[in-house]
Amino acid sequence: MAVSFGTVTRKTWQTAASIKTGVVLLILVVILAAAGTVILQRPMTEPDDMQRAYSPSALRLLDAVGLTDVFHAWWFIGLMILVSLCIIAASIDRFPNAWRFYSRPYKYPDGTFRRALHPQKTIAIADEESGLVAAERALHSIGMKPERVVREDHFGLFAERHRISEMAVYIVHASLLLIFFGWIVDGVFGWRGTVSLDEGQTSNVVELRDGTKRELPFALRCDAAGQENYKDGTPKKWWSKLAVVEGGQDVKSKEIVVNDPLVYKGVRFYQSSFGENGKVNKLVIAATPNPAYGAGSVSAAASSGANSTDKQEEIAFTLGDTANLDADTTVRFAEFFTDYAVRDGQVYKRSNELGSPAAHLIVTAKSSGKSFDVWFPQLDEVADNSKAPYLLEPKDLKLGHFTGLQVSHEPGQWGVWSGVVLLGVGLAFVFYVIHMRFWAVPVRDERTGLYSLWIGGSANRNRDAFEERFNELIAAIEKEVQPSSSLAPSEQIATASTR
Amino acid sequence: MSRANAEQQQPATTGTTLIVFVGLAIAFLLFMAFLNVVKSGNVLNESNLLFAALIFYSGAGALYLGFGVTGTDSYVKFASLATWAGLLANTGAVAHRWYEAGHPPFASVYEMLLSFVWTLAVLTLIAEKKYGVKVIGTVTMPVAIVGVVLMQLLRTEVHPLVPALQSTWLHVHVTLAMLAYAACALSFALAMMFLIQDKMQTETFLAATGVSTLAIYASIVLTRFEKGGLSLVAWSVEEKREVFLSKGIRLFVVIPDLGWLILLTTLVVAAPLALYALARSKKDDSYLAIANRAVFISILLQIMTLVLFLLRAREGAYPSLDADGLFTTSLAASPFILSGLVGGIFISLLYLLLLWRRPDLERLLPDANSLDRITYKTICIAFPLLTLMIAAGAYWANQTWGSYWNWDPKETWAAITWLVYAGYLHMRITRGWRGRRAAYFAILGFGVVMFTFFGVTYLLPGLHAYA
Repeated sequence: MAVSFGTVTRKTWQTAASIKTGVVLLILVVILAAAGTVILQRPMTEPDDMQRAYSPSALRLLDAVGLTDVFHAWWFIGLMILVSLCIIAASIDRFPNAWRFYSRPYKYPDGTFRRALHPQKTIAIADEESGLVAAERALHSIGMKPERVVREDHFGLFAERHRISEMAVYIVHASLLLIFFGWIVDGVFGWRGTVSLDEGQTSNVVELRDGTKRELPFALRCDAAGQENYKDGTPKKWWSKLAVVEGGQDVKSKEIVVNDPLVYKGVRFYQSSFGENGKVNKLVIAATPNPAYGAGSVSAAASSGANSTDKQEEIAFTLGDTANLDADTTVRFAEFFTDYAVRDGQVYKRSNELGSPAAHLIVTAKSSGKSFDVWFPQLDEVADNSKAPYLLEPKDLKLGHFTGLQVSHEPGQWGVWSGVVLLGVGLAFVFYVIHMRFWAVPVRDERTGLYSLWIGGSANRNRDAFEERFNELIAAIEKEVQPSSSLAPSEQIATASTR
Repeated sequence: MSRANAEQQQPATTGTTLIVFVGLAIAFLLFMAFLNVVKSGNVLNESNLLFAALIFYSGAGALYLGFGVTGTDSYVKFASLATWAGLLANTGAVAHRWYEAGHPPFASVYEMLLSFVWTLAVLTLIAEKKYGVKVIGTVTMPVAIVGVVLMQLLRTEVHPLVPALQSTWLHVHVTLAMLAYAACALSFALAMMFLIQDKMQTETFLAATGVSTLAIYASIVLTRFEKGGLSLVAWSVEEKREVFLSKGIRLFVVIPDLGWLILLTTLVVAAPLALYALARSKKDDSYLAIANRAVFISILLQIMTLVLFLLRAREGAYPSLDADGLFTTSLAASPFILSGLVGGIFISLLYLLLLWRRPDLERLLPDANSLDRITYKTICIAFPLLTLMIAAGAYWANQTWGSYWNWDPKETWAAITWLVYAGYLHMRITRGWRGRRAAYFAILGFGVVMFTFFGVTYLLPGLHAYA
């Protein structure tokens, strides 16, 4: 039993580590991800559009298997985990060999290796020392640092560059795992939501995507928000002045725009929308005593007599405010409609959008107890604009704004971004950093007793370019050897190079 | 059999082909000139510069083709001169656009095509000068031409950047994307040349040509055939945009009878494929000779379809099934049908070129091994660029939408592209895939790139609405 269990484990391991499994999994990911872009996805589509696009039975089926939300379906996440496991298994499986290769560089090539290596070259030399010195000089001249390898009865030269390149692919795989890890952390501990703040409003409640609310340990206040337009009327910039309030104190403030969020304690606030909230920030009116008023009211007539008729008073107020026009008369800002309609002597709100706005003010004379409805614009069916003790005239209307903020908390971000940086570094190493090795071994021909120098080179990629480099090195060594090569007859060179 | 046939024809056809090619190129240019005159404007504006680029690129394409046909070395000199000139005009158009818009030209499909074609021309010249792949222009120049034609049709007004696009990351992201996509296009061209040089059978190219042209025409028929007519999106001339019935629903007009012609062409382009299948099943090569003739006939019919399509869809009012009255349409409303038609002709012409002048082509191209290696090297450049492009996009998305990954279709397809090329690299490095299989992989990769670039923008909805 133990043996078969062991076999099963080994088989599983081999399957997980094989490139075939990896490719099959990747193909599955590709197919399912593509399906997720072709089939409408619930998180990005209005429910109505979903129902319009698919028949009820098809929609039920798609919902049941999770194809309407592929990227959050358990099987897709499971697949991603399998891919991660596969990367881990493949890396662990291959790593020991690569590590041995990396940690114990092969410095002295044996006969078998020397015969099989390409490129290689043999040059006639006068003696071992002069040959090695020539090779050392040539290697130095191309920027390599050769070392002498002495082993029992053998010795030779070894030079290498960018050994790290052998590890590059593991850097890439590790960085992918790091990105996955950060992403999973975000999926488990992160959240996203929205906050909508009116100017001046403070809130610490975020509405999450699933409709639940989340309280933050600090509150956010919007001091101002605005929009700038291009000349053609398309929006150029949305901005909001935000302040973070914690323990009753302002701890941070920033003007955010799209692309430049406010970050506090790992929670990020992004500008996402802006608009009018249907409220009035400020209404400015001008009041002039009404000369036609006063037939019945002595005090009003007296007061209007006391003041010159051309005296105009400007009053600014917000909704619900009451202001005194004189000792006896007050005006209250009673109602505001973003979009009004009048029917049967009543004013209705037609919509919450800013269409045709209307303001309702009530002027009250205390002594007579009479009130007058003043409307801007003057709605004849309901307004007493001309009967009121004062003639009111609208001067300015400032509407309130809201700023729509996206809020997100992504604690796994550090993993993602460090993974991305590592991925970039790893790929640079994989593709552009080449592990180059050179060996030089002096060989003595048993028959003739003459010396020659065997030189070999190896590169882990871009071998054609490396061969050119190798040939340049050979030329340099031959040049170094030249002065003493007059000692060696040319036929020996031929013998040496054809061996 | 077909090979023997082709060799018999050679002396007679060389001159004829050349004349046909050059004639086609000139007719095409004149047509475009006509389109351009209609638009008019002052002399050194962007559209004229683009038009100059189009003329030079077309000239370069024709000369590269001519070089492929005749093997005359002087052609390639003039071809690269023409490419240089086209690149200069293209650079002028890019600069003009940049200056006028106040931001690098990356903000719409039109602007990105502008940058894409520019990068492609640069890479073509690099491949030619540095790696000696002289006929690469035969493949890349048609792509550039289709790109410029599409640009003429897609909207050209300068639009101010919406708030989400006002970021340095936009430029980083799109520059990387253009470089990566152009490198992918180059690897595709090199893989095609590898297949030629690798003594891949002409019949296989016949099948591929048949499948791709049939796919183009079948998809037009399946989506746009309407009771014998061809259904096209209505175009408002005043507003220079598509006409919508309601939010997201376009109004279609039907050009009567054009559908029958497209259906006929579909059948004719299917004929070589059917004959190829017949030849394979009966093991009788005589069908292939007929198939090659059928390709020739299909080209004539395709050209006729294109001309009629151009004449009828360029302007004029047609009835619609969804609303009463006549509505106008324009070529600008159907850029993809147009590029499909042009692309089908190019593919078929490339096949004829291969069929007739194969030995010359083989002589002119670098050997198969070096083509294989250069393809791999190009992908080694494209892959890190793709990676960085996705990373820059993720970083930017994180600043704008509050999340680095939203599974928006464009993102998903960029990831799929990345995975396909990652698959290529794994198969090549660990499995030792070389040659033909690697070349197929490179071709598949470019197909996915093109889908990500165009398909996703026009077929799948998402956050990337502006690109």
